[in-house]
Amino acid sequence: MTDRTTHKPQLSFIGMLRRSLVHRRARSLSALVALTVSAAVATALLTLYADLNAKLHKEFRNFGANVVVTVPTSGSVLPPNALADIQKTAGSDALIAPFGYAVATTDRGTSVVVAGTDFGAVERLDSWWQLPHWPTAPDAALLGDRAANFIADEHAVKLTYAGRAITLAGAGRLKTGGDEDSRIYIPMPAFTKWTGIGPTVIEIQIPGGAAAVEAALTRLRAQFPALQIQPVRQLVEGESRIVDRTHSLMYGSVLLIALTVAVSVLATLSASVLERRRDFALMKALGGSQTQLMAMFLLEALVLALAGVVLGYIAGSAAAWGISQANFHTATLPRLSVLPLVLLLNVAIAALAAFFPVRVLRGLQPAALLKGE
Amino acid sequence: MPESISPVESQTRPACAVISLNGVTREYSGHAGVVRALDHAAFSIVAGEWVAITGPSGSGKSTLVNLIGCLDRPTSGELRIDGVDVATMSATELDRFRADKIGFIFQQFHLIPYLSALENVMLAQYFHSMTDESEARAALTRVGLAARAEHLPSELSGGEQQRVCIARALINNPPILLADEPTGNLDAANQTIVAELLQDLHRNGHTIVMVTHDPEMAALAQRKIALSHGKVFCHPIGSQVVTLRR
Repeated sequence: MTDRTTHKPQLSFIGMLRRSLVHRRARSLSALVALTVSAAVATALLTLYADLNAKLHKEFRNFGANVVVTVPTSGSVLPPNALADIQKTAGSDALIAPFGYAVATTDRGTSVVVAGTDFGAVERLDSWWQLPHWPTAPDAALLGDRAANFIADEHAVKLTYAGRAITLAGAGRLKTGGDEDSRIYIPMPAFTKWTGIGPTVIEIQIPGGAAAVEAALTRLRAQFPALQIQPVRQLVEGESRIVDRTHSLMYGSVLLIALTVAVSVLATLSASVLERRRDFALMKALGGSQTQLMAMFLLEALVLALAGVVLGYIAGSAAAWGISQANFHTATLPRLSVLPLVLLLNVAIAALAAFFPVRVLRGLQPAALLKGE
Repeated sequence: MPESISPVESQTRPACAVISLNGVTREYSGHAGVVRALDHAAFSIVAGEWVAITGPSGSGKSTLVNLIGCLDRPTSGELRIDGVDVATMSATELDRFRADKIGFIFQQFHLIPYLSALENVMLAQYFHSMTDESEARAALTRVGLAARAEHLPSELSGGEQQRVCIARALINNPPILLADEPTGNLDAANQTIVAELLQDLHRNGHTIVMVTHDPEMAALAQRKIALSHGKVFCHPIGSQVVTLRR
C-alpha cells in the first residue's frame, strides 16, 4: 500500500455532508423550510420591531397634541413670542398650534365658542379631523358639526362678540366626535382683530413616546415657569401602553413560532437519525468516533440552520417591507442588525431540535443495528 | 447439538494468537434482570487462521462479534486483540484500535447509499487516516469491481455490493477480517465468488473470523467455534475437521 499522507484527500467531510443532504432531499427540504420560516418570521418581526417605535409614534402624532400650554389665569394672554420660544424649547420636530377662545353669538342668537387658530399648524397637528378641505382664506370659518346647526347661513357666517359683528366665509363642517364639533374655528389674525384676544392655549405634539414627552415637559416648565404646562395623560400613557404591549406581542410571537418550528425540526432531525442509524452504526464500526458522528450530524443541522437564516432573512425582510407598506404606508428597509439575533435563534432551534437525535446517536449499538436487529 | 458436547473452558493461548479470550463474560441489564449473553468464553485464534463461529439465534454470536470487533467491552474477563487488552481502552482508543485492526464484512453489506462504490471503500480510509483514491481503486480491482467503481450501491447487484464491502474491509490492511454471515444474502453464484475471495484472502495470510449458519461456508474454515446459550464450544487450534462429540 502507498503512503496516504502524500495523497490529496478525495472524500471530505463537507463532501459527505453535501451528498447526504442531497440524497435525503425531502427530509433536508422539510427541515430547511421549517428553519427558513422561523428565520423569516424572526427577521420580519425584529425588523418591524426595530422600526416600531418610530412607526407607532408617527401614528400617534395623528392623534393630536400630547402637551397643552395654557395661561394660568383667565383674561391673561401668552407672551408675545411664546409660540416661537415654545417651538424652540419643545424641539424643531414638535408640532405646535396656537388657539384663542371667545364666546360669540350666532345670527340665530345662540352662544357658541369661537376659536382662533393657525389652520396650517392645526392641519399638521390634528390631521385626523374630518372636514371637506382645510381653509386657506383669511376670513374662512370652519364650522363644528353641532355648532353649524346654530348658524342661519353656513356660507355667510355672521357672529357677534362684545357688540362687534363679523361675517366670515363658511368653509364647511368639521367632524371630530369631540368638543371641536361645538366650536367655530377661524384664522387667528381675523380672530384677534375681531375680539382683541390673542392666543391663550398652545397645543403641542411631542414625538417619541412617554420619555420624550416627559423630557420636553421638564424643559418647557423650566423655561416657562409662569405658564401651565400639562401632558395629555390619556394619550401619553395610552401610547406608552400600546407600544409596550405591541413589543410584548411581537416577542411572544417570535418565541411561539420559534418553539413551533423547533418541534417541527426536532421531528425531522429525529426521523433523519432514526432512518440513518445503520449508516451511523457503520461509520462507528469503521472507526468513526462518537465525536465525529455527532459533529457530522450537528454540522448537518447547522448547515440547514444557516441556509434557513439566509433564505429567511431575504423572505423576512421582504415581508417586513410589505407589512410596513400596508400598515404604515412607509417602507421598512432590511436591517442587517437583526441578522445576529436571527442567526442565534435559528442555531438555538437547531441545537434544541438536535438534542434528542444526539442522544439516539450516543446510544447506538452498531453490532445489533448492523445485524439488522 | 450443543447439549451433546462439552464446553471448553480454556484453551492454550499461543504467543501468536491474534485474538485471545480468557473467561470473557458479557452481561446486559434489562427489564427482566441481568442477561448473560456470553459466559466465560475462552479461546484463541492465531494469526492467519480462518475460524467459523456457529450457533443458533440468541446463542451469543452477535455479542461475540461485538466484542471481537471492539464494538463492545466484556463485563469481565480478558480479551486481547493483537496482544492488547481492549478492556483497558477508552472509547476513543477503542475507535482508533477498531479502525486499525478490524475489517468488517456484513451480511447486509451496509454500504452508504449516496456514496459510490469507490467512495464507500474510501469511507473506511477516511475514518482510519486519509483517503487515497488509487488505493481504493486497487482494492476494488482486487475484488473484480474496477469497472463499477463509480456506481452507487443501488446500481450494483447483491454480490457486487458484498465485494465492495470486502474491498472496504481490506482497504486499511487490518490483521483481522470479521465476516458476519458474508454470504447470507447472496445467490449461489455470488456465494461462490465471495467464498473464493475469502479463500484467496486467507491464502494471503489474513485472519478471518466468520459467523455463519451455512455449513458449506463453515466447512471452508480451518476451525469451528460453536456457541450455545452464551457458552463457547470450540475445537483446538490446528484441528481442521469439525467433529462434535455425540
